Amino acid sequence: MIINKIDLKNFRLHKETKINFSKHLNYIVGGNGQGKTSLLESIYYLCTSKNLTQSKDLEVVSFSELYFNVVGNFSDLVNNNVRIFFNKEENKKSIFIDEKNIGRASTLIGNFPVVTLIPSNHLITQGAPSDRRKYFDSVISQASSTYLKILLDYNRTLKQRSSLLNQIKESKSKKLFDELNVWTESLVNQGSEIIEHRIKFLKIFQDYFQNSYKKIMDVLEIPTIEYSFLNNSVESNIKKAFVDELKKCESLEIVRGSNLVGPHKDDFIFNLNENELKKYGSQGQHKTFLIALRFGEFFYLKNIIGRTPIFLMDDIFGELDAFRANKISEYLKEIGQAFITLTDLSNFDYLANGNEDLIINIKNGQIINA
Amino acid sequence: MIIPSTLQKAIDELSKLPSIGRKSAQRLALHILKSELLEVQNLSKSILELKENTQICKNCFNISENEICDICKSEKRDKSIICVVEEISDVIAIEKTNEFNGLYHVLGGVLSPLSGKDADSLNLKELIARVKLENSTEVILALNPDTEGETTSLYIGRLLKTFNVKVSRLARGLPIGGDLEFADDATIGRAMLSRIQL
Ligand SMILES: [Zn+2]
Repeated sequence: MIINKIDLKNFRLHKETKINFSKHLNYIVGGNGQGKTSLLESIYYLCTSKNLTQSKDLEVVSFSELYFNVVGNFSDLVNNNVRIFFNKEENKKSIFIDEKNIGRASTLIGNFPVVTLIPSNHLITQGAPSDRRKYFDSVISQASSTYLKILLDYNRTLKQRSSLLNQIKESKSKKLFDELNVWTESLVNQGSEIIEHRIKFLKIFQDYFQNSYKKIMDVLEIPTIEYSFLNNSVESNIKKAFVDELKKCESLEIVRGSNLVGPHKDDFIFNLNENELKKYGSQGQHKTFLIALRFGEFFYLKNIIGRTPIFLMDDIFGELDAFRANKISEYLKEIGQAFITLTDLSNFDYLANGNEDLIINIKNGQIINA
Repeated sequence: MIIPSTLQKAIDELSKLPSIGRKSAQRLALHILKSELLEVQNLSKSILELKENTQICKNCFNISENEICDICKSEKRDKSIICVVEEISDVIAIEKTNEFNGLYHVLGGVLSPLSGKDADSLNLKELIARVKLENSTEVILALNPDTEGETTSLYIGRLLKTFNVKVSRLARGLPIGGDLEFADDATIGRAMLSRIQL
């Protein structure tokens, strides 16, 4: 899938920006705060309707304007115009495909696959379990709308169940236990499905990830991802393990008024040669791991959904040593369309710069040449 | 801005209706203003009658013109099957498919601790009483396919376990996150035919 052109209105520094893109590599070059990242942000909006860096939609609207509007023209087997319109006064975002309002964001997700590599991603390897769950949930959701649906149901069940746990804590009513039992059954049903999906996903994804790691590191380091679920359970019957763990926490859940067991507590462990990355990894190894995850994700999505994702990379070459930068530059030739921000092109003569690649120079929200 | 207060009042009342915004309310009010007197009388009469001449069926909690609704009274309906739905609008949605010939039971919602809906606030005792009294052979749970609907189905399934009655659920196949009310006739019809036993 390719995005052919984009049209921005009142989008951060971009009062009015129109660009035709290359279907290969697009280098976006400019100083800090000139509007490079917001170009990636706008493409991300078109693919997911969400913000790339988790800014509020309000903050994206240009100063003293009332709305922003982003239009992108995508082509795959067919051409689609996607438009995201945000009205600041109503704090309302509308999503259109070919000018038809599609309502929910979940309709968009997975239809315009996108892979990102941005500075805040360091949390995936260095942050909390929730950062890793969020990462893998987003990858699996792009590949499976069933997974997204169960995930949304499960999150709803968590809210309902913790509300009920609190009511039981307050009222001590025995009658509510009958209701708790069925919410627990829903929790176990949906939660087990999520765990099974994650296990199945990881079996396939591991290869993609390891291949990518090999491409950017010559050294014989073997990276692995391990999924730790239900307090490190090794039980093969997920539902049974789930029920067993819940039993252990029965009274504590009521005391705390919250859900203490389930896939919303799981973690993914990253290892290098069987050493845990989080404990023993160097900065460089963290970085390599992260880049390999994203490239692995790219090829995984490409094969599973049969559509080539768009790759967005924000400022990744800046902190890389020449060896890795060279490797990645070579690797870029194997992917489809990518958008890569750089502060200065002159330091990167090793970058792949094919005939069909495009250099977009940007200053103060204006495109100088493209 | 000066608008005659009678017109303003009509606009205000109309805009209280679901999915009617200020602009639509104004358009409706002006349309009524231009219509023939007889038509306006018919409209207002039918609205008033809707409220004055209807009540909730004592048996199934569907809307009715008498104490007992036409579906519950009908000789042609199979009284051994009860289809449990959340709201009156779901009865209308299923009736339109012509695939179901039993009776209904309107729960008046689903379990939802977040919005303070517990088992006591649903018409569940009445359902149990009917299953006993009417010697039902099958109860079909046709709740919305969201997590609240599914969980409420589990709850009712447990309640009915002690009775000699087959409990089934509409087959999935309803659109994701979709309400029964908004699903098309064919989809509900298919789901009704391919229901699964709990
Ligand atoms: Zn009735």
